[in-house]
Amino acid sequence: MKPRDPIPAPSKPLPSTGNDMTEQAIWNGTISFSLVAIPVRLVKAVEPGRVSFRMLHSKDYSTLARKMSCPEEDKIVPPEEIIRGYEIVPGKYILVTDEELESVSPERSRTIEIIEFIDMDEVDPVYYDHPYYLVPSKGGEKAYRLLVEVMRRTNKAGLAKFVMGEREYLVAVKSYEGALALITLHYSEEILPGDDFQPKDGKVEAEDKKRIKKSINKMMSGFNPGKYSDIRREKITDLLRNKAKKNGVVEAPGTGEEESEGPADLVAALQESMRKVKRKR
Amino acid sequence: MNRRAVRISGRRLSLTNLEKDLYPSYGFTKAHVMEYYLLISKFILPHLKDRALTLKRYPEGVEKDFFFEKRCPYHHPSWVKTADIRRDKGDRMTVCLVNNLETLMWVENLASLELHVPLARAATPETPDSMVFDLDPGEQANILSCARVALILRELLSELRLASYVKTSGKKGLHVYIPLNRKQTTFEDTRKFSKAVASIMQKNYPELVTAKMAKEYRKARVFINWSQNSASKTMICVYSLRAREKPMVSFPLGWQELEKLARLNDPEKLHITHSKAVRRAEKQGEIFRDVLTKKQELPHL
Amino acid sequence: MAAGTIWKGSIHFGDTEVPVKLHTAIKEERIHFHLLHSRDHAKLRQQMVCVYEHKPVPVEEQIRGFEVEDGKYVIIDPEELEQTSPESSRLIEVHEFVKTGEIDPVFLDRVYYLGPDINLKEYNALLAALQEMDVEGICTWTMRKRSYLGALRAKGKILLLNALRYADEVISVKSLELQKFSLSEKELEIGSKLIDQLTVPFQPQKFENEHEKKLRTLIEKKARGEKIAVLRPRRLKPTSPNKLLQALEASLKKVA
Repeated sequence: MKPRDPIPAPSKPLPSTGNDMTEQAIWNGTISFSLVAIPVRLVKAVEPGRVSFRMLHSKDYSTLARKMSCPEEDKIVPPEEIIRGYEIVPGKYILVTDEELESVSPERSRTIEIIEFIDMDEVDPVYYDHPYYLVPSKGGEKAYRLLVEVMRRTNKAGLAKFVMGEREYLVAVKSYEGALALITLHYSEEILPGDDFQPKDGKVEAEDKKRIKKSINKMMSGFNPGKYSDIRREKITDLLRNKAKKNGVVEAPGTGEEESEGPADLVAALQESMRKVKRKR
Repeated sequence: MNRRAVRISGRRLSLTNLEKDLYPSYGFTKAHVMEYYLLISKFILPHLKDRALTLKRYPEGVEKDFFFEKRCPYHHPSWVKTADIRRDKGDRMTVCLVNNLETLMWVENLASLELHVPLARAATPETPDSMVFDLDPGEQANILSCARVALILRELLSELRLASYVKTSGKKGLHVYIPLNRKQTTFEDTRKFSKAVASIMQKNYPELVTAKMAKEYRKARVFINWSQNSASKTMICVYSLRAREKPMVSFPLGWQELEKLARLNDPEKLHITHSKAVRRAEKQGEIFRDVLTKKQELPHL
Repeated sequence: MAAGTIWKGSIHFGDTEVPVKLHTAIKEERIHFHLLHSRDHAKLRQQMVCVYEHKPVPVEEQIRGFEVEDGKYVIIDPEELEQTSPESSRLIEVHEFVKTGEIDPVFLDRVYYLGPDINLKEYNALLAALQEMDVEGICTWTMRKRSYLGALRAKGKILLLNALRYADEVISVKSLELQKFSLSEKELEIGSKLIDQLTVPFQPQKFENEHEKKLRTLIEKKARGEKIAVLRPRRLKPTSPNKLLQALEASLKKVA
């Protein structure tokens, strides 16, 4: 399963084992419907289950990090010297700053404005992209709970658009297990029409259909995702456990492990003290 | 009873999955884990205070997946104290500070069986409060060999007028701490010093000790891991549980006691379980406290 | 523009076997930015750099490690990792069927169209059966060395395969530590009324990615050398809890 987090900068993925790079809340602002405004923070709702590895230097096991480097100067570039550019013709760029980006849709940058509500049953699941949770910030807890409860009772979701980072998202805000879930949606124009792939001839043989229905009936059940686990992930975890037992672990050395024993004074003092210790033992 | 709401210092905390067996081959549930940390809280809290916590979470128990969390989980109660620290990449990160019992209980509710902290406090991340020697036995060595090394190390250090303190790692090794507690001390100092000490130890006790990381040197020896003296590294906090088959504890030992136990030649005696830890701590009090308060200066640097 | 077939498989359960061709169902078109060096506008590239030596490391010297303790790793060879790959198989094995609507959207991951391969009759029969019974098939399959869990359903004249997240990948709402709040029936009633008033049929076609269009305009303006006015983002004042009922009533008046 390829994990994706479509909301990019300022963050990156998964928290497991040292690879933690996500920011605090992914976004914070207000969610509103009509005259009610609720301060909220946007947080992750899914943690990709894949086992995440660190890339290490085979020579000394020091950790590697992704850095941006400038091919002209062949050097690592610090974050302050990195800017965003749109390539209008190869090699020519239009620079765009963070503020200019935010200014393109100012009325939406810090607010999720719900303009309308829709019946959950009307939403074709193909529209759903990525889920997040909204958590109330201080003072918003009561209004938050109201919105959750009311949407649960009416089986409705709120539709809104909001801009974060470089993109604008169409989102559905719905209640899920007592919390507000915000799910980004695909725009209609992004959903490929099925026509290109569907069969030209839609004829159905009644006998075939009947047989299949019979099979289906025998296999009816309630949805319980907990029944299924990621086999590959389990295999990798087992492999890791065995390797750890067999080979032990490695550790990155500090800088200059190959170098001198230390400052001359200290080495001399240590040698002298060691002599005394050995004599006593 | 699997769920419980409690109030600590006027703060609400919802404890969940209390009946979950986190040490299945031993039989130690989440409730037991939380009880241990509650009983040991007055001893462990001073060592956690104001330090960036790295949680090591085992939500399904010690035999299943675990994960580290350096960042304070987003969904934390507003009363959990946090600090913003700057990492070498330049980006900022918010960490949890376990400064009170309710935060400790909240952290344990997240099944963070192990608590790891840096040698420096969050506000002064480049200033180590102490220097550490992480003694790690090779495949064919054990905690008794570590004890031998620790005792020699202690003598060497006291020749240099440095007081040192020892604790079990909770696994197979020992940790020797030298309190410094001076704002002028840097990690560069502690690295230089500890590396020089490790080299001298290796030079003089080559069959017993190695200062080299590579596996081929470590089989029958004790590895003196001096490179733990770094701003980016963490150590298991004293009094923390370990996620092994049994709930063992990283527990402080007196030097005379270590000498005695080493002579008994039984490695089991150096493995302190949760119940022993609570009993002993209650009886002998806080013998690791000096690591937080004693001021010492590294000589000859 | 149709996306090509990315995989071929065969749906299987009981006696039923339906060969299919997998296609992506979503096509995203976004303005992409490059990261540049502010000094010379050179396009930056990503490199793996050793954090100690601050030097780039060639691919041959890069290995994978899994962190088991702080700063301590278990090394994994690519071949060992390869061995954990599931056996490649073309089967999309259906284990059970559930009523549509049972799967909460938070579990939905990528969507694929399943077009027919050979045996069109079986394909159409399955499609009709799923549609008429209003059910989805929960299935597992292996694709590109990964194990997937998904839901098979009918959409119009075509079959859809929706990859699902595993249960432990969805963060439990309990971890959000949300407080319970008691709400008055009046607040709930007015809230429900307000939502009903604001309810419209779901017509996703009316939403366009305006931001993309505005972004394009911004870039064109800059390309022409025009000055851009930078406006500050608007921040709404949060509704205080004791003014909630008031705000709800006022909103209702506004929309009614």
